[in-house]
Amino acid sequence: MAPMMQGAAWRTAANGCVKVGLRCVHQPHDFGRPLKGHLEVAAILLTTWNALSRISCKDISQYNGSLLAEIVWMATHLFLLPALAIPLAVKHHDFKRCDQSGFCKRNRALADSMTEKSSPDSSPYQLDAASIKFKDGRLEGSIIKTVQDTGPVKLPLQISFLERGNLRVIIDEEKRRKGEVELRHGSVARKERYNEAGAWALTGAGLQSQKSASYKKISKDVSEVSWGPDSRFRAIIRHAPFGMEFWSGDDKQIVFNGRGFMNVEHWRPKVDKPTADENSTEEAASAPAEDESTWWEESFGGNTDSKPKGPESVAMDITFPGYGHVYGLAEHAGPLSLKQTRGGDGNYDQPYRMYNSDIFEYELDSPMTLYGSIPFMQAHKTDSTVGIFWLNAAETWVDITKSTHGGNPLTLGLSGGVVDTQTHWMSESGILDVFVMLGPTPKDLSKSYGELTGYTQLPASFSLGYHQCRWNYVSDEDVKDVDRKFDKHNIPYDVIWLDIEYTDDKQYFTWDPHTFPDPISMEQQLDETERKLVVIIDPHIKNKGGYSVDEELKSKGLAVKNKDNSIFEGWCWPGSSHWIDTFNPAARAWWKSLFTYDRFKGTMNNVWLWNDMNEPSVFNGPEITMPRDNIHHGDWEHRDVHNINGMTFHNATYHALLERKKGEVRRPFVLTRSFYAGSQRSAAMWTGDNQANWEHLAVSIPMILNQGVSGFPFGGADVGGFFGNPSKELQTRWYQAGIFYPFMRGHAHIDTRRREPYLLGEPYTSIMAKAIRLRYALFPAWYTAFHEASTDGYPIVRSQYYVHPGDEKGFAIDDQFYLGSTGLLTKPVTAEGAESVDIYLSDDENYYDYFDYTTYNGASKTHKMTAQLEKIPLLMRGGHIVPRKDRPRKSLGLMKWDPYTLVVVLDKHGEAQGTLYVDDGETFDYEQGASIHRQFTFASGELKSTNLGAKGAKTAGYLKAMKDVTVEKIIVVNAPATWSDKNEVSVAGEGIKGSVQAELIYHGAAGSKATWAVIRRPGTSIGVDWTISFPETSSPRSEL
Amino acid sequence: MKATEALICLKFLAAVYAASDAPRPRGVGPEYGSDEPGTSACAHLSSYSPQTPDAANATLALPGFYCKNKGHVPSYVPFTNVNDGVCDYESCCDGSEEWDGVGGIKCEDRCKEIGKEWRKQDEVRQRSQTNAAKKRKELVAEASKIKIGIQDRLQSLTTEIEGSELKVKQLETELADVERREKGKVVKPAGGKGGKMGVLIGLARDRTEELREHLVRVRDERDSSRSRLQELESVLSTFKEEYNPNFNDEGVKRAVRAWEDYEAVARDKGSEPKAALDRDLEELTKTDKENGLDWDEYEAEEETDTDVLYAFENYLPPSLRGWLDHKLRDLRLMLIEGGILAASTDSGAESKHVTEARKRLKTAEKELDGHHKDLKKHNEDLADDFGPDDVFRALKGTCVSTDSGEYTYELCFLERTTQKPKKGGGHTNMGNFVRMERMTVDEDLPPNGKGLGSGERIVMKHENGQHCWNGPNRQTTVILGCAEENEIWKIMEEEKCIYRMEVGSPAVCEGVNGGGGKGAGGKDEL
Repeated sequence: MAPMMQGAAWRTAANGCVKVGLRCVHQPHDFGRPLKGHLEVAAILLTTWNALSRISCKDISQYNGSLLAEIVWMATHLFLLPALAIPLAVKHHDFKRCDQSGFCKRNRALADSMTEKSSPDSSPYQLDAASIKFKDGRLEGSIIKTVQDTGPVKLPLQISFLERGNLRVIIDEEKRRKGEVELRHGSVARKERYNEAGAWALTGAGLQSQKSASYKKISKDVSEVSWGPDSRFRAIIRHAPFGMEFWSGDDKQIVFNGRGFMNVEHWRPKVDKPTADENSTEEAASAPAEDESTWWEESFGGNTDSKPKGPESVAMDITFPGYGHVYGLAEHAGPLSLKQTRGGDGNYDQPYRMYNSDIFEYELDSPMTLYGSIPFMQAHKTDSTVGIFWLNAAETWVDITKSTHGGNPLTLGLSGGVVDTQTHWMSESGILDVFVMLGPTPKDLSKSYGELTGYTQLPASFSLGYHQCRWNYVSDEDVKDVDRKFDKHNIPYDVIWLDIEYTDDKQYFTWDPHTFPDPISMEQQLDETERKLVVIIDPHIKNKGGYSVDEELKSKGLAVKNKDNSIFEGWCWPGSSHWIDTFNPAARAWWKSLFTYDRFKGTMNNVWLWNDMNEPSVFNGPEITMPRDNIHHGDWEHRDVHNINGMTFHNATYHALLERKKGEVRRPFVLTRSFYAGSQRSAAMWTGDNQANWEHLAVSIPMILNQGVSGFPFGGADVGGFFGNPSKELQTRWYQAGIFYPFMRGHAHIDTRRREPYLLGEPYTSIMAKAIRLRYALFPAWYTAFHEASTDGYPIVRSQYYVHPGDEKGFAIDDQFYLGSTGLLTKPVTAEGAESVDIYLSDDENYYDYFDYTTYNGASKTHKMTAQLEKIPLLMRGGHIVPRKDRPRKSLGLMKWDPYTLVVVLDKHGEAQGTLYVDDGETFDYEQGASIHRQFTFASGELKSTNLGAKGAKTAGYLKAMKDVTVEKIIVVNAPATWSDKNEVSVAGEGIKGSVQAELIYHGAAGSKATWAVIRRPGTSIGVDWTISFPETSSPRSEL
Repeated sequence: MKATEALICLKFLAAVYAASDAPRPRGVGPEYGSDEPGTSACAHLSSYSPQTPDAANATLALPGFYCKNKGHVPSYVPFTNVNDGVCDYESCCDGSEEWDGVGGIKCEDRCKEIGKEWRKQDEVRQRSQTNAAKKRKELVAEASKIKIGIQDRLQSLTTEIEGSELKVKQLETELADVERREKGKVVKPAGGKGGKMGVLIGLARDRTEELREHLVRVRDERDSSRSRLQELESVLSTFKEEYNPNFNDEGVKRAVRAWEDYEAVARDKGSEPKAALDRDLEELTKTDKENGLDWDEYEAEEETDTDVLYAFENYLPPSLRGWLDHKLRDLRLMLIEGGILAASTDSGAESKHVTEARKRLKTAEKELDGHHKDLKKHNEDLADDFGPDDVFRALKGTCVSTDSGEYTYELCFLERTTQKPKKGGGHTNMGNFVRMERMTVDEDLPPNGKGLGSGERIVMKHENGQHCWNGPNRQTTVILGCAEENEIWKIMEEEKCIYRMEVGSPAVCEGVNGGGGKGAGGKDEL
């Protein structure tokens, strides 16, 4: 949650309006609701005017001179009313625009001046050809920056050509690296540029350079390296000005510094210039001086940044020739396909910003920064995807522009011309460290990026269930009551949550003795149905004598320090607070000690964690976060590490939860609000404090899809909306959408009405219950998708471009998506009163309505699907096999032993395939083979289950335990008509002697609904190989 | 071959139902067919399950899995609980719902002990119910006693009203008589010294009285404004103390700044009430008599010359005096009525006799009015809803309270609900009683029987309590269940400032089988 005062602005406005109404309008208008249009406003003004004209002279003398002002005021406010009626608005003045951020302004100014010159030739960076060394796939050299006054600045360059066709470029600054600089204000900060982002974000995998990469000098001024599979890729290095081009085959894919925006702000001492002499301005006028106003100090919102290291930003322009779409740069509340940011119709006028912040009441369709940052971008064109990973933890802005050129008639682009996407990356500090990935598919990029930064942790299975949260369940009895009510109403859920109010006076690791006198009995009740409790713990520790956690934090010196190197004190929920510095290994070790059951009393093994406010949120800090000149472990300034801060905290919690009790190792669940590249290894995320309106429901979908693109797919938005009360319709639609978030949690602000699904009444309650049960039935498919994410880095829900990278029509679609590799395609309803949706089907395949098998023929066009309130638009694409568990249970934990249903959706050729991954869902035994991983294939009238899993020490034991878990039903959609007079299939496989017969029931087509058949109780165990032979099918049959 | 899955589920279930005495299991077992009707396989035939073509329009023949619970009470367990690997002893004490032993689970039959325990508790419950019923009888008797008291009072009121009406009539006649007599008095010569004084005094007295009354009213108004101001100032100063300066909310910051300015100015002005002035005011507002000014002394008519003249009657023998008086009066009246003489009352100062007669009449009228009001009140009271058998008449004003978290909550029957902080501080009114309603509830009954159970319950609505910041006026719904004692079982804030109280009371024990027949094994809500 976020600061609580959010309603004030709205209230002020509303009161103002009421005042107008009473004083001046005879029939006060109901100003609480938005005015419909100008006509209505005009009518009110007319009434107002009539009322005023009746006021006598005497009255007017009483009103004094303010009458005119009043009328003007009223008129302006009445016209502004529609805007004022929007109750919540982001506090823009709290957060910087580019021109309020010194380095962003400086780099944009540089970009503007280079753009004016329309050539990079004046870029002062030159690769010293004599310095180039190339060995084992690694190139080293020096870039020389020419600086007029002080002479050349040496910037060490390192380029690593990596396996899998990636590449890494690092540019540092020699003087800072060697410490040959002086810091101002006696700062204790490190002198180097921050170079440890990789230590946090990267796993170490994927960094081996490709020894077979080959270097050649093309000319005096150009070098070339080829590498990658079959040496498919070439990097052409231009020495002066320094720049690079990356080619795949004959196509130029990515260009560095093609526009000359590269900038490494070198260290320089502060020179106090004499005040300009009016009489001798000649010299100054001849050489336009750089704007130094933001080099040494910057103030914003009453806070001053002392900037002891002076200006130190790094920037680069990166162009994607021929690429019309770029995705990524999570987290922003806008479309999946990123917009242009340099103004113009429909574009933003601000760059995408990444500076993790507690932005409450965030606005939509905006490049403003949010809670988390992943500086990873995918550029996409028909059948080709490339990517950039800008490894920098400081504040980063990215400008995006697109230019169309060519108009080559041979180009098949929609616009007719070729679109280049140009980006400009700017970071406040640190080294320039950037990865290039040449794809060429979205999946290749996911895999590459996942290899570098880690794949999604395979979560405990309960965390895929429905989470019930609110700020706040008021007592342990309240929690028990809600728990019982879910059972009473037969609605499954797995996790119930406690927000900050459970603590004693906001002291984490304690319980409010009045309201939570007996947390263990609450947890035990939850445990009876294998349910879990998640409690919140934030990084701010209440500054209070006698609070042991704070006292230890202080005495052990584990807190973040201020610029004077003494403990930093700021404000957050508990009032005055200190912040644990989880960059410090000693702090992380201490953090572990706080979670043991004897330390965090009142918790048992079904309690998990929620880390909020870890941007970090500091209520009285600049931009609601820490001063940039704060000092972290290793004497790094906060500015250097800011975007990584949240990740170090949830990582620390994850590791603490692994060691609560010796011998008890369960996959921890941690939810985080702030994140960085690598967060996917230890946490789930949510999109923070959204609002209960339709627009926020709609934007949640591109946001979640972008999380997938950005390699951190385990995310969701607060179902129902955090601020405000959703209408019953909105809440119901939000549940229908929310069941397709990888992380599904209902959450609500403390001032909202209770809204547990059983409270809404019919028909809403049963519609929501059905939606949740649908999510539970599809759990095997979800878990399989998570497994893919955990091994290959693929998104869990996938956008249109990701699944159909060759279909240009789908590149900008971000309101419909696929679940994993299952072929399940949904388009959530996000409009009030909607009774249908238009869904785009890319390929020439049949899609079937999930619920009644109505057939839609894809064929690259948009189809209308009816979608009354009770209907979830959900299609099954032909050619897939979807595993389900159809028996409704109270929780996922209680579904462990339930049998499977396989839905085989035959494609136009009568074939289908799918996979299933199963394990115990709670331990790490799967790492030793305790899992079932099956490939299902239907072809030539045979459905086969074959093994995909690798054998390990614990495989046999697990298979034995799962022996009695069977397939209880197989549904074949688009079943061949030749089966219409058949009534059995034969089953053969492990554990079956010879072959047995199972019953087949065929259902003919009805109207637009496809044929289907059911095989009941084939008697096959889920973990073994088997084959089911269907009756002869001479020719596969499709109904349409 | 066209039969749907659902039909198969139903077909077999029907078979099960017929054969429910079969040894094992009591939902059909695996031997009956491929869909395991006695299992959760059919549980998707629920209005809460996602629609599938094979379950279209199907409903279940049985409400759940049937647990025989030998030694206890039989029950239906929801299909969702069957073979989920957890023994649901609470609803199926014989463990038969885990017949498949999934994940290696074995649920032993615990009906013997559970049944025994249940019977023990049931006995307590029964006893408690009997007591409760007895108590209710007492309450009803008391209510009826109160009612009879009211009815009696009504009776006597009627008599009293008759008497009062008579008295009023008499006094009216008397007043007319006195007036007539006074009118007949020979007029005070207009412009006479004493007369004018009398008029002036009368006017002055009235004026003073009026001023005094207004002063009192204004002072009261001032006091109430002052206390409201103080309250407001304390709210704002707490706000200033406690607001978080770091939310960066301009509106809040503005308000705090304005308050600080206001506070500084107010301090300069020294707006503290002056005690001395207040004491003066106190003196001023005392009645004139207390201030040593007895208007009557001055108003009592001085004998004027003419009066003295008329007083000569006093020297005559009584019989003559009577006759003369009579004649004189007649003459005067004749003259007055003929418009020749002015009536003495025109002077505006009524004679003391008339005033007193009028005062008596007023008193009598007031009394009569009071009786009428009482009558109306009691009649309305009799017509009011005090629940079945009028039973809550006996509980009106009875208060019960309970501690929950940081507060003590109190319910005063038919009056209000209140929240009192344990740490001290003001009480919060959570709503005033407005009406009784009925509501269908469906709650689990705890073993001790202290809970609402299922069915229709009497509900007391309390509305218009203290206003909530950023919310509505507080309201409380009190739901009553049968219990031996009046007690608050549970208090919940269902949403911001809307409370729900579950309360036990013997008053609602009639015809309510709150804790009885259904026990731990008797869960039939599916």
